[in-house]
Amino acid sequence: MNQAALNDAHAEDRLVAGFAALAIAIHILEAAFPSPLPGIKPGLANVVTLVVYLRHGLRLAAWVAGLRVLVGSLLVGTFLSPTFALSATGALAALLTMGLAGAIGGRHIGPVGLSVLAAMAHMSGQVTVAYLVFIPHAALLKLVPVLLTAALLFGTVSGIIAAIVLRILDRPRATAP
Amino acid sequence: MRLLRPGDILVLALAAAVVGAAYGTFWTERTPGQSVVITVSGTPVDEHSLSEPATIAVEGAIGTSHLEIAEGRVRFTDSPCNGRYCVHSGWLSKSGQVAACLPNGVVVEVLGGEREYDAISL
Repeated sequence: MNQAALNDAHAEDRLVAGFAALAIAIHILEAAFPSPLPGIKPGLANVVTLVVYLRHGLRLAAWVAGLRVLVGSLLVGTFLSPTFALSATGALAALLTMGLAGAIGGRHIGPVGLSVLAAMAHMSGQVTVAYLVFIPHAALLKLVPVLLTAALLFGTVSGIIAAIVLRILDRPRATAP
Repeated sequence: MRLLRPGDILVLALAAAVVGAAYGTFWTERTPGQSVVITVSGTPVDEHSLSEPATIAVEGAIGTSHLEIAEGRVRFTDSPCNGRYCVHSGWLSKSGQVAACLPNGVVVEVLGGEREYDAISL
């Protein structure tokens, strides 16, 4: 590998590391807040994934999300627990949906739409795994409408935040990673 | 860059529709059923009241499925299939609930009370 390519690779690593650190911090802050209902949290860490996806593409977004789930669970203490499995499923579902929607929608779909889709996919993926693997009981399905409502609301909010962040990062003089 | 693009509005509308559908699907009250119809390969072969306890053996395509009726409920207790999804369906007691052993072609449906729809198309 020549020196320029090496520098590029290092720049990319630093980018991923920086964004992942940010996402992990948000992830842990959220874990510390009491949740109004089990399974519902704002998912603001997904803002970071979304911003990285829109600025740098799906590959780096996957790195950031993967590191966030892994390191976040190690720090919160849920590594390889059901929570971790749900977190990983949700992140994977959200990433795939985001990538697919971005590829299909192109310029016509912005941060808000992507964020709502990602949030709904995240929640659907989690509920499916929770139901099939951990709690195969009809009572869980009763929660589905509430959980999806939350996903819609928080997805919209996250999307708007991401749009604002992107606007700030896109300013010419911004010193952004 | 505008905050909302056409795709975003489409996504929001679809998401709202999905959420609405979820309320419709998961928050519908189910009424207790009164009897159970057993179907093998598409033809109804037997009907039992849910109020009388019974154990039933049904000959299907690949073997014998065993059913149990008790306390107004019905369930598969065994079936000659892989995975035993029918058995894992557990007890059925509400009108419109269905359990099926597809490899064996045995379908069990609870009837009676207020019949519910499993789908509505407009």
